[in-house]
Amino acid sequence: MFDWSIITQNADLILKGLGITLYYTVVTTALGLAIGLLVALAQLARISAISWIGLLFVEFFRNVPLLVWLLWSYYALPIFLDINISKQLAGITALSLYGAAYYAEILRAGIQTLDPGQTDAARALGMSTTQSMRRIILPQAFRRMIPPLAGQTIIQMKNTTLLSVLTIPDLLYQAGYIASFTYRPMEVYTAIGVVFLIILIPSNYLARKLEAHSQ
Amino acid sequence: MSTPETLQDKPLVSIRNLSKSYGPLKVLRDIDVDVHEGEVVALLGSSGSGKTTLLRCVNLLENPDCGRIEISGQAIFNQSAGGDDKAGIKQKQVNTLRSRVGMVFQHFNLFPHMTVLGNVMEGPRIVLKEDDASNRKRAMEYLEKVGMADFADRMPHRLSGGQKQRVSIARALNMRPEVMLFDEPTSALDPELVGEVLSTMITLAKEGMTMLVVTHELGFALEVADRVVFLDQGTIEAEGPPADVLLHPTNERVQSFVNRFHATAELMRPLLQD
Repeated sequence: MFDWSIITQNADLILKGLGITLYYTVVTTALGLAIGLLVALAQLARISAISWIGLLFVEFFRNVPLLVWLLWSYYALPIFLDINISKQLAGITALSLYGAAYYAEILRAGIQTLDPGQTDAARALGMSTTQSMRRIILPQAFRRMIPPLAGQTIIQMKNTTLLSVLTIPDLLYQAGYIASFTYRPMEVYTAIGVVFLIILIPSNYLARKLEAHSQ
Repeated sequence: MSTPETLQDKPLVSIRNLSKSYGPLKVLRDIDVDVHEGEVVALLGSSGSGKTTLLRCVNLLENPDCGRIEISGQAIFNQSAGGDDKAGIKQKQVNTLRSRVGMVFQHFNLFPHMTVLGNVMEGPRIVLKEDDASNRKRAMEYLEKVGMADFADRMPHRLSGGQKQRVSIARALNMRPEVMLFDEPTSALDPELVGEVLSTMITLAKEGMTMLVVTHELGFALEVADRVVFLDQGTIEAEGPPADVLLHPTNERVQSFVNRFHATAELMRPLLQD
């Protein structure tokens, strides 16, 4: 019933799509983590105006559907701001900010649930807030946050499939394209699903190993 | 453990009119305490008396509402009642003053992601920007002093409570503080581990370290402290040489506090016989 030759014949397109998917995953994860850390620190700031901005950021992105936000970033944002942005830039910005909101929540929780005695000890030595964050709080918080961060990164990778609506040629976009001229969507979409499983199951396993190692 | 005659006029730690509330609850009311160089002062009182809060105010781990705190003549906190005059004390100055005050916590608060040696070297490395060679050498000397040199490469979770507390004392000492604050340093320890921590503290006291100690160890207060300060409901109820305050209490709150310890001893007596 399945004709797998479709897949082998179009392996180059699928590989190209995979490259794009991985590229967007890596870039938006790195940016998302960096922005997420800033947002988490903002939420924890003692100045209430700053913590409010952090809270608003998280609430906004957690309550807007990603697909709506992606389309809006590409089609509406340039009109509002009167700028020209490429679909690549729109995609990266939208996904990074969206991921940042979730990363921020993980980071904030990790920092907040750390024993306050650790901050006390750092402050008692005379460390500044920045020094105690960098040397004492964040290294411990990150270690404990490896599992949820890994989980969020897997979601982030799966979310990149939505970039296909901006005609960015990721895995899903290529699948649609191959299906359009082979008329074999079953094989193609199954293959794409398998590609995600092949990449994500070992990643999950690795994250678990890393977690066990850091205990 | 110096005698009052040798004490200098200028206190190393000077606390004046210190008040602190948590919401409607007044934890400290108008407290005055001085600690002179080389002096060991024990802060006593039942739980909730404000003694830990007072200790944490000295290096501003708690923010007082008003009052004045000086460390060797330099104000770390200065705020009059009702006013918000912080006397222009910057966070940076607070950090510098903190680096000159060592603190030992009830729950040790060692950094679990660093080795024993890493813990002891961390303060001078990050705060004083000291180079590793001299820092490591001195850190090992302090670990030697507290009897933990053989454990320098261990991670903290592999140590007993008493060992952790001795490392945390070495960590504080490696900053070469002018004064050491102890917040119930033996309260979280199993009884058989209390001795090793107390003996480390006694060594320090004998060497002339200025110490402010919140403790429930009446024996330590009696034998080691030059002076005890007894707090009750946020006010100083009694203050003076330990023998006077603890053995011949005139204040009824001190009396009932001391009696509770006698009562425990009474309770145990039958158990200890035969």
